[in-house]
Amino acid sequence: MKRWLLALIVANLALVAALTFAYPHLMVGPGTLVSGHAELATDCFACHAPLRGARSERCVTCHALPDIGLRTTQGLPLARRGAKTAFHQDLIEQDCMACHSDHLGPRQGRRSRKPFSHALLRVPVRELCESCHKAPSDALHRQISGNCKQCHSQERWTPATFDHEKFFVLDRDHTTQCVTCHVDSDFSRYTCYGCHEHRPDKVRREHIEEGIREFDNCVECHRDASDEPRRPRGAESGRRRKRD
Amino acid sequence: MQAKLVSREVLPFLFSFAALVIGALLLDGLLHLFDAVWIGRWLGIPGTLLIVASFAYSLRKRGLIRVGQPARLLLLHQRMAWLGSLLVLVHAGIHFNAILAWLAVWAMLIDVGSGMTGKFLLERSRRRLEQARQHLRDQGVCAEEIEERLYRDSLTFDVIKQWRAVHLPITLVFAVLATSHIVAIFLFWGWQ
Repeated sequence: MKRWLLALIVANLALVAALTFAYPHLMVGPGTLVSGHAELATDCFACHAPLRGARSERCVTCHALPDIGLRTTQGLPLARRGAKTAFHQDLIEQDCMACHSDHLGPRQGRRSRKPFSHALLRVPVRELCESCHKAPSDALHRQISGNCKQCHSQERWTPATFDHEKFFVLDRDHTTQCVTCHVDSDFSRYTCYGCHEHRPDKVRREHIEEGIREFDNCVECHRDASDEPRRPRGAESGRRRKRD
Repeated sequence: MQAKLVSREVLPFLFSFAALVIGALLLDGLLHLFDAVWIGRWLGIPGTLLIVASFAYSLRKRGLIRVGQPARLLLLHQRMAWLGSLLVLVHAGIHFNAILAWLAVWAMLIDVGSGMTGKFLLERSRRRLEQARQHLRDQGVCAEEIEERLYRDSLTFDVIKQWRAVHLPITLVFAVLATSHIVAIFLFWGWQ
């Protein structure tokens, strides 16, 4: 290799090295930092420990755990307390990077945008969805209070895991308020009594006349409002619900 | 008879080089489509290992190691470097994040290009040019006339020869930039 060419290459590489130390956020940083950390852009080791990456221990030197969602890093009370951030005190472990990635680059892919894991919450808080989430205000959800996990998983809100038609078809004769059948919004139980001809004495008499002695679980045979009852399929019989 | 270096050698080379880039973009696109970008992030490791392993030919060629047949090592050098480059390109994806990493990628692309020049063009071009000369000589064309007729091809061949000369220096640049990128990753990333 010619000496002048080698010298040119070495000079350019030295320039690149100098730029790396002068502008680390541009040369080696995976994208811009979130606005709140903009002033740390050139101070990589404010968050990163050499050879170990970004460490939670460094986060909490500024973000004291008891203050997250309640006070600023200077200890001043937040003007508006964010319900979504006040749960940090209820996490079972201190692993900031399990959810947070402050550089823009690693968050470009949907998968790499780390979803919040509800498993990180202490059990009592994990079960109390409304402590962080506001219930939707649509007609369906206005009727329901609590017990979200009957229909929704903690992995994601949609799709809701519950398909009512697997248990009973809500046809035009059965479009009513949820609490009509699920008293007190307890969706683990239901009742068919209380509507038009579904009176206990009448139901009992009709079934006894047909020789049917077990008629506690209506939807086991009556999956919709059709006149002909059907026997439950084997696969579904294990998913019976109790009837009041 | 014209050697037709541009149409028969240069363009196929360019197409094969473009196939490397387009192939990498397609793979990266698939990873994005299936929300599996994280796979691309890890492909940098096997890609780098393949490229490093391919340097066995360079060491053998310069007598720094004595194991292996040079011809076989050259073939491995070409294949491993190409595959490693493909993986590194997918790893780089289309994310314009750190400048240092992108300089390394560009150096790698130029390096691969210069390497492929040697593989695809130089030997075949030399052979094809010589065949053309021989054909004209067999027809009784004088030496001056041959050079006149093959002037454009000779010019193309000279350019190709110059292009190959950048392979070693740009390899040095690529090695330093890639090493810097890897050191930065070890220094700042948490491997989680």
